[in-house]
Amino acid sequence: MPLLTESKHFIRPDGPDKVTGSGRYVADISLTGMLTAKFLYAGVSHARITRLDISAARQVPGVFAVLTQEDVPERRFGSVADRTLFAKDVVRFEGEVIAAVAAVDAEAAQQGLDAVVFEYEPLPAVTDLEAAIADGAQLVHEGWADYEAADVERDGNIASFTSMIRGDVEAGMAEADHVVSSRYVSDASQPAPIEPRGVLAQWEGDRVTIWSSTQVPFQARDGVCETLDLPTNRVRVIVPHMGGGFGGKCGFHYEAHVAALARAARRPVRLVFSRQEEFIAPDRRREGMIIEITTGLRNDGTLTARRARVLLDNGAYSSDASFFPHMAAMQTLGPYKIDNIHVEASSIYTNRQPSGSVRAPTAPQACWALESHTDELAAAIGMDPVAFRQQNCVDTGETGVAGQVYDEIGLQDCIREAVSAIDYSQELDENEAIGVAVGWWPSFPGPSGAFVKIDSDGKGVITTGAQECGTGSVMTLPILAAVELGMEPEDFELVYQDTSAAPYDEGATGSQTILNNGRATVEAAQQIAVQLKSLAAEKLEASPDDIVLADGKAHVAGSPELAVSIADLAGVAAEGEMLLGKGSGTPPEYPSAVGVDCIGDRGLSGWVGPQFSCHAVKIRLDRETGVVRVLDVSAAHDSGVIINPIGASGQVEGGVLMGIGQALTERTVYSEDGAQENPAFLDYKLQTIADAPPIRVHFVEIFTPGVGPHGSKPIAEAPNVATAAAISNAITKLVGRPVAQLPMTAERVWGLMQGRGGG
Amino acid sequence: MTEPVMLTVNGIDYRVNVDMGRNLLSVLRNELGLTGTKEGCDDSECGACMVLLDGQPVNSCSYLALQAQGRSVTTVEGLTPADGLHPLQRSLLEQGGVQCGFCTPGIIMSARALLDRNPSPSEEEIRIGLSGNLCRCTGYAKILAAVAQTASDG
Amino acid sequence: MSFMIAGSLEEALTALAAGARPVAGGTDLVVGARQGKAPLPTSLVAIDRLAELTQIEPTDGGIRIGASVTHARLLTDPTIVSDYTALADAAALVGSPSTRNVGTLGGNVMNASPAMDTGAPLMVLGAVAEVQSERGSRTVDLSDLWTGPGQTSAKVDELCVAIDLPSRPARSGSAYVRLEYRRAMEIAVVGAAASVTLADDGTISDGSVALSAVAPTIIEVDGVAELMAGHLPDAVGAAIAAAVAEAAEPISDLRASDSYRRHTVGVMAARAVDAAARRAAGEEISVPVNRAIGVGASR
Ligand SMILES: Cc1cc2nc3c(=O)[nH]c(=O)nc-3n(C[C@H](O)[C@H](O)[C@H](O)COP(=O)(O)OP(=O)(O)OC[C@H]3O[C@@H](n4cnc5c(N)ncnc54)[C@H](O)[C@@H]3O)c2cc1C
Ligand code: FES
Ligand code: FES
Repeated sequence: MPLLTESKHFIRPDGPDKVTGSGRYVADISLTGMLTAKFLYAGVSHARITRLDISAARQVPGVFAVLTQEDVPERRFGSVADRTLFAKDVVRFEGEVIAAVAAVDAEAAQQGLDAVVFEYEPLPAVTDLEAAIADGAQLVHEGWADYEAADVERDGNIASFTSMIRGDVEAGMAEADHVVSSRYVSDASQPAPIEPRGVLAQWEGDRVTIWSSTQVPFQARDGVCETLDLPTNRVRVIVPHMGGGFGGKCGFHYEAHVAALARAARRPVRLVFSRQEEFIAPDRRREGMIIEITTGLRNDGTLTARRARVLLDNGAYSSDASFFPHMAAMQTLGPYKIDNIHVEASSIYTNRQPSGSVRAPTAPQACWALESHTDELAAAIGMDPVAFRQQNCVDTGETGVAGQVYDEIGLQDCIREAVSAIDYSQELDENEAIGVAVGWWPSFPGPSGAFVKIDSDGKGVITTGAQECGTGSVMTLPILAAVELGMEPEDFELVYQDTSAAPYDEGATGSQTILNNGRATVEAAQQIAVQLKSLAAEKLEASPDDIVLADGKAHVAGSPELAVSIADLAGVAAEGEMLLGKGSGTPPEYPSAVGVDCIGDRGLSGWVGPQFSCHAVKIRLDRETGVVRVLDVSAAHDSGVIINPIGASGQVEGGVLMGIGQALTERTVYSEDGAQENPAFLDYKLQTIADAPPIRVHFVEIFTPGVGPHGSKPIAEAPNVATAAAISNAITKLVGRPVAQLPMTAERVWGLMQGRGGG
Repeated sequence: MTEPVMLTVNGIDYRVNVDMGRNLLSVLRNELGLTGTKEGCDDSECGACMVLLDGQPVNSCSYLALQAQGRSVTTVEGLTPADGLHPLQRSLLEQGGVQCGFCTPGIIMSARALLDRNPSPSEEEIRIGLSGNLCRCTGYAKILAAVAQTASDG
Repeated sequence: MSFMIAGSLEEALTALAAGARPVAGGTDLVVGARQGKAPLPTSLVAIDRLAELTQIEPTDGGIRIGASVTHARLLTDPTIVSDYTALADAAALVGSPSTRNVGTLGGNVMNASPAMDTGAPLMVLGAVAEVQSERGSRTVDLSDLWTGPGQTSAKVDELCVAIDLPSRPARSGSAYVRLEYRRAMEIAVVGAAASVTLADDGTISDGSVALSAVAPTIIEVDGVAELMAGHLPDAVGAAIAAAVAEAAEPISDLRASDSYRRHTVGVMAARAVDAAARRAAGEEISVPVNRAIGVGASR
């Protein structure tokens, strides 16, 4: 199978809309009679509601609807069903929605909110992870055991737990020449897409159409159906253009609130978040973590055993976070060869903003800890950290930490490429250093569907549930259809992210679009290919098996002059049996992980299509202030065959820069009682273009069977795994010890140089 | 209290009533229907709302609409030629500097102001010229390349 | 609620006397209102287009900068760049190109943030503010102007019309350096400005240092001239850093702890003195120093 990278460089179909400003995002859409929605937030991290009176608010001129939990069905949702749409009895974080108002304009809506009477009795806020799991700790969810949800173990403030055990850790440690222990602490951070979310809902009879800036339209739809008691075919979620997500817009969020408001107000209602709300309210931040790792190794570099304990800050509700402990466990073990492991990871309820999937959830923090620790291991035996990784990282045919044997993987190539692209052995100034780290990330197989049709002029439309939040599915899917049909990507239009028009798809989550929707699109296109070949066979008096689709034509194999154009065939088909394809395919199965005992298993020990990466980062340190600047990055990735090079390299560049932010400047600071102190871009510092280093992207293109189309694997999250880790290792080279706190702010680096902090 | 004002946007004179505290962005988007200019933050930090005021970049989210009287406002809609695309728009697409696109109109306006002032900027000058525009998607590499390409194409 | 674009200085002063507040670029005032820090005043007079306030002109004893001159102009004005370089350094660091394009010197000075960037340079350059009202005009020393965070001694009806800077001695140079975590769009974590005059033998004959973001207002460090006099610039860094750390009364907040501020403001001051001295000796260090020498760490 040839690699696809040649000539598949085309302009994204939604591009002209975006550069001219004609493309509409949710906040750009208005409907006649539309009202403005605003939420009343708890503003306190933990309290019992003693009075909630909205009667005066309903009387405010211009206010059309005011809702609280009283006005919606009593339904809990989230991965462990711990949440209701509006606060019920108790509020558990500052951004919890207590009431919602729809009014003629923002001013009236605000007056409505001001007229809500909300009284409460404060409860002690749980904010310290270790204290939260101590005996007698204040519970975040007092009545948790009574929430109705299937098979969840309920234990104090532990929202979810995973342990992974393989081999004999004690024996492994006993065999070691060195045992190295480290403790790392990561702050929480934020996805921070530049578009704050928006939701617009309009009812027509008993059907509601919701325009939402969601990454997961079907999940959003299902959330509305579940919480408002509606059948799926009465709820249509449409995503117009979407201004970035990074996981922040995964999950079911405010679609039901707005739909309920619109129903009560009998008017279309639109909610658009301010930046402050975007920071405080969604259950989607990157969780803080405490990571303790102990590893045994021999003088020759062999890893004999690893023990680890990971505490994750779950926040007040579990959204989709219950798989995080398992994921964090895998990240703390890493793409290494170790036979004796014991990891325990717990996600712990606190009275802070809930954690949820943000681009490669748990990975940047856990990889940062693991890879900083790995450099400590190499140092313990005086080995170069790159050589140490070359010795210990898994390669094709080898067995990884969870007992899975990996076939056709390119991690070793990634290490070689990243290190050579950055010129690892270059002469460095005394304030400069190069750090290297490896990362890994799984693929997530799942159901997905697509329709493809070719109309009478030979132009195609792909109708898919896939979501496009900037990821590039608008490019990849046409490329895949075009390859099957011997057409050009430009021949296809997309109808996408509309739950009533298209079959199910999981959305822009878990980097899954190429893998799952790609598979569906390919299958749908293949059905049309069969149709085209039989039409051509008739026309060209050949067997369908001998027909080749290429360059917009169907021709007889070996005789390109015996051809008919696809447009002509489409014209014929339009008169009778039309060119329609549908596909979903069969998702690849999870491979088995051998010999791992796993409590709280989320099925993540065996990975489908693991993606590997190696990032090498050159930094410069201002020794007097602790300020670190990243001067150069090389990022080598094994994501299988790359289908859309411009989109893929864009993912890597964006992921690396996000990683630099996480490494150095991005963190959410919480007050003692759980409130965010920096919910604004002024003090939540994303990297600017003035900070962005050159990023050398290299793809180790290995044909990977059984994962995505054409030997591909996903790419969107993997780039966000190893950058902070590589920066940490560079800093350690200059200051002697890891900073051990993430982000590695200038002050923390300086503190380490003063002999304070560090691992 | 609202005041009637005359605003010149993309060469067209509009008469609108705005109250004193109203920012230019809100008037552009809500009164004039020019939604190409985006709103991404509350504290003038993201640059999604960038427009040109007499040719110079301004964060329209925190500029009083009333202060724009007698000045000429250009938005991304005004920069787009009747036929085809502006060179900056074209090179952003060719280089792949657009992902979610939410930052894009603001980036284009800042880049336009930069190139008007300095037709052949160094890489560092491009970086400083666009430093008020946050992009979360791209890592900026392809944006930088696009502005450089536009400059070198003249 | 009322809004007026002043057509003349008189008009502006009349509006102020009637209770209006001035708005220049609005990059503090409007942004602050949008963030909910302080509501917009109910009556505003726009002063950004007044010809009287937008000139940079030589005076008998130096230069006069109109209050509504923007940062963008300051950082490109040849006289400011060559003679009052610390001010250009500061203007070049303010916000982004768009902030600099509308934000004004008068707005920065009158907003009186302890973290403002032009304050420390103005202080070491010996600036005074000209304020005017219908009642008359007066000049105010900056150390008397700033009375606390966001507070000035100007009366509500007084407009800052200009900043006056004395001419620079021969063989003098100035620089402003601030600590920043990013290379753009920063607020000074701490900042320091220095002015240095060299004697013929290359030793320092006179100098001063002022600091941002380490006290309720911009402060000038006492005794710096004595500390430096007679020494070669290379030799004074440590003593400057120590004196500065002593003078600073920083707070701890989101951006930094007091101890980190105390330390880094010393570092910034030593670097500012070094850059100022090199400029005094005729070396070209481009504006802003931060990017020329790469504070905190060059590319
Ligand atoms: C994104 C961003 C980044 C920024 N970065 C920096 C930075 O790096 N460094 C920095 O120092 N500042 C920074 N600022 C703050 C601000 O831009 C500057 O202080 C600017 O100089 C203010 O000028 P202005 O004309 O916009 O003031 P305005 O907002 O118009 O006015 C500010 C205050 O001063 C009063 N005022 C204005 N002019 C006069 C006058 N002539 N007489 C009397 N009172 C007057 C106003 O009534 C108001 O109270 C930043 C602001 C933003 C939004
Ligand atoms: S919306 Fe204006 S700068 Fe963010
Ligand atoms: S393209 Fe998404 S923020 Fe720039």
